[in-house]
Amino acid sequence: MSLARTLRQALTIARRDFIATVFTPIFLLFLFAPVIMGSFGAVGGLGAASVADGRGDRARIVAIVPDAQARTIAEADTRLRDVFRRSEEAPPGLTTLRPAGDPAAQARAAFASKDYEASAVLYGPLAAPQVLYGPRGKRAADYLALLAAETLTADRLNGDLPRANAVKTPMERPDGSAGNRRQSASFAVFGVFLLNLFLASQVVGTMAEERNNKVIEVLAAAVPLESVFLGKLLGMFGVAILFVCFWGTIIAKLGSLLPPELASALAIQAAVGMPAFVALFVTYFTMAYLLLGSAFLVVGAQASTPREIQMLALPISVLQMGMLALALAGTARPGSWIATLAEMFPLSSPFAMAGRAATSADLWPHVAAIAWQLLWVSIFIALGARLFRRGVLQSGSAKPFWKRAKG
Amino acid sequence: MADDQVAVFAEHLVKRFGDRRVVDGVDLSVPRGAIYGVLGPNGAGKTTTLRTLLGIIEPDEGRRAILGHFAPREASDRVGYLPEERGLYPSMKARDAIAFMGALRGLDRRTGRARAAEMMEAAGLGHAIDEKIKKLSKGMAQLVQLLGSVVHRPDLLVLDEPFSGLDPVNQEKLEALILAERDRGATVLFSTHIMAHAERVCDRLAIIAGGKRRFEGTVDDARGTLPSRVRYLPTRPDPAVAAVLPHDAVPDGDGWRFQLPREGIEGLLVTLIERGYGIGGLSIERPSLHDAFVRIVGRDATPDAMQEYAA
Repeated sequence: MSLARTLRQALTIARRDFIATVFTPIFLLFLFAPVIMGSFGAVGGLGAASVADGRGDRARIVAIVPDAQARTIAEADTRLRDVFRRSEEAPPGLTTLRPAGDPAAQARAAFASKDYEASAVLYGPLAAPQVLYGPRGKRAADYLALLAAETLTADRLNGDLPRANAVKTPMERPDGSAGNRRQSASFAVFGVFLLNLFLASQVVGTMAEERNNKVIEVLAAAVPLESVFLGKLLGMFGVAILFVCFWGTIIAKLGSLLPPELASALAIQAAVGMPAFVALFVTYFTMAYLLLGSAFLVVGAQASTPREIQMLALPISVLQMGMLALALAGTARPGSWIATLAEMFPLSSPFAMAGRAATSADLWPHVAAIAWQLLWVSIFIALGARLFRRGVLQSGSAKPFWKRAKG
Repeated sequence: MADDQVAVFAEHLVKRFGDRRVVDGVDLSVPRGAIYGVLGPNGAGKTTTLRTLLGIIEPDEGRRAILGHFAPREASDRVGYLPEERGLYPSMKARDAIAFMGALRGLDRRTGRARAAEMMEAAGLGHAIDEKIKKLSKGMAQLVQLLGSVVHRPDLLVLDEPFSGLDPVNQEKLEALILAERDRGATVLFSTHIMAHAERVCDRLAIIAGGKRRFEGTVDDARGTLPSRVRYLPTRPDPAVAAVLPHDAVPDGDGWRFQLPREGIEGLLVTLIERGYGIGGLSIERPSLHDAFVRIVGRDATPDAMQEYAA
C-alpha cells in the first residue's frame, strides 16, 4: 500500500472530521471559550480585587511620634515609597499619632481602632523604637523600623540629607541572562501545555462517534485502520490550528498595543534565536498535539459510550498535568537527569524540548527529538489500530504487512 | 492470484470467536461478472465470511483473494461494500455522504458529487440531494448508502443483507441496481436469507449453515437437489388408482401428489390411460429455491430460523 494512498485516505477522513467539527454552532462556543473563561476570570478577579481594596484602604502602619517628628517621618515615607514598583508591593499608608499617656498601651489600642486596621505600630524613641505588628505585618514592621532610621538620620542632619542624582540607563545582555532564558523556557513549556490542554483532548471521542454512527464498518472496509486513526488525528489537528491561528492573531494584535515597558518585560529570550525558537515552538506544539492526541485516540477508541468518554476526562487531565510537571522540573535544572528524562519520555518530550530551545543553542537535539516523537506517534497509531481491530472489530491480529502480501 | 476469471476466492476460510468456529472451512469461487448469492439462516456466518473476505477482519486459517489480490486492502478502491449495519453521518448531506464514500475509494470529490446527484435523480431521490441524512427516512438513507457503495463504479460490489429494511418498491429498485451493476461488468456478491431475491437475480450461489458451506452452484443446481413433484387428477375418482401410482403418492383433494419418478412420467401416463383412470389434470412442479434451502440447511438451522423459512 503506497504512502500516497494512505495519506489520501487519511486526508479524506480528516477533511470530513474538520468540516463536521467546524461548521457547527457548537464550534463557535468552543472558539470563544477563552472569552467566556476570561470573562469569568475577570469578574472573579474584580470581585477579589474589590475585597482586597476594601481591606487595603483601611490597612495602615502607625507611627506614634511627637509632632516635631511627624512631618520628618512623613517625608521619609514619601522618599522610600518610590522604590516600590507596584502599589500592592508597597506597605499600607502611614498614619501618625501624637503620644498620649502610656505609649505602649496606646500602641496596643491602635490594633483595636475602628477607624483603620493597623498592620504595625511604632512607638518610643526613634533611636530605640518598639514595633508591634499583627498577622502578616512582619514586612510592615520592617518598613517602620527602616522609616525610624531614615527619620532619625534626617533629624540629626537637620533635614539636610545628601542627594545623589543618578543617571539611569537600561541595558540588556547581548545573549540574554540565564534567568531570562529559564523564564522563557518556562513560558514555552507552559505555552505548549496550555494549547494542548485545550485542544488535544478533543480527539478522545472521535472514534466513539464512528462506532455510534455505525460508520466504522464502512471506513474499515475501505481504508486501513491506521489511515482512519491518522485521519481523525489530522482532522482535529486542523481544528486546533484554526483555533490557535484565530487567537494567535488576536493576541498578536493586542500585543502591539501594549506599553513598551510591559512588552519588553514579556519579551522572550531564546538561546537558539527568535526565528528558530518560534519555529521550534510551533513544531513542538504540533508534536505534543500529535503525541497526546494519538495516545488519547487509542484510549478513547476502546470506549463505546459518552459516559465512558467522560470517565476518561480525569485521567487525561492528570496525565497532562504530570507531563507539565515533569517538563517544568527538567527546565528548571537543565542538564540534570530529570531534564534528560523529560526530554526522552515520549509524552513529555515536546514540552521539555520546547523549554530546551530557550536555554540551549544546540539544534541537533531538536532534530533527534522530533524524529523520536514522530516514531512514537506512529507507534501509538499502529497500536491503536491493532487494539481497535482486536477489541472492537473482533478480528484476530492482522498479519504484519510483510506477510500480508504473501496471503 | 492466477485465475483472472475469479473475482473472489476463498480456500478453507476459518474464523473463530472464542471457542466458536463462526466460519468453518469455507471455500468460495465467485466468477467475474456474476451475481453471486451467499445464502444462510441467521447466525450462519454469512456476515463474518464477507467481512473476512473484505479484510475487515483477519481469518484464523485459510486464505482469500479479492480481484486477484491476496491482501484485500490492495483492491479496496475497486470494491464497493454495503454493510449489514447501515451507517452514515447524520449531519452530512445526502450528496456529500455519497461523494465521501466514493472519496474513501479514491474517487475525486467533484466527480463524486456530480455522480451522486445523477444517481440520486435516477433513483427517484432527486428531492433529497441536499437533505441531511438525519432528515431522510430509513429506507431513503439505506438507498443513499447503497449509492455510496457504487458511486466509484467498483469491479466488485459486496452487499450484506441489502434487502432487509426496504419496502417492496425499494427492493425492486435494488434488484434493478444489482442487475445494472452486473450489466456494467461488475461482480456482485451479496448475502441474504430472503430466497425470492436470490432466485430472481443470482447466477450462482452458496448456501452456508453452521459456518460451513453446504452447497455451491446455480439456482437450478440447488433446486435439483430435490426431485420435482407431480400433481395428478384422474378423470374419475377411484381409490384403486393408488396401486398404479408411485409408492410415495398421497391424496391431495380430488387428486394425488407424488415425486417425479426418476425414469420419467411417460410410462406412468400410458398405464393410467390404458387402465381407464384417464388424465383430468397433470402438473409437474419444480421445487423452489426455498424448498431446496430448507432441505439443505434444515439439519443445522436453529428452530427459530426454520420457523422463519417455513412461514
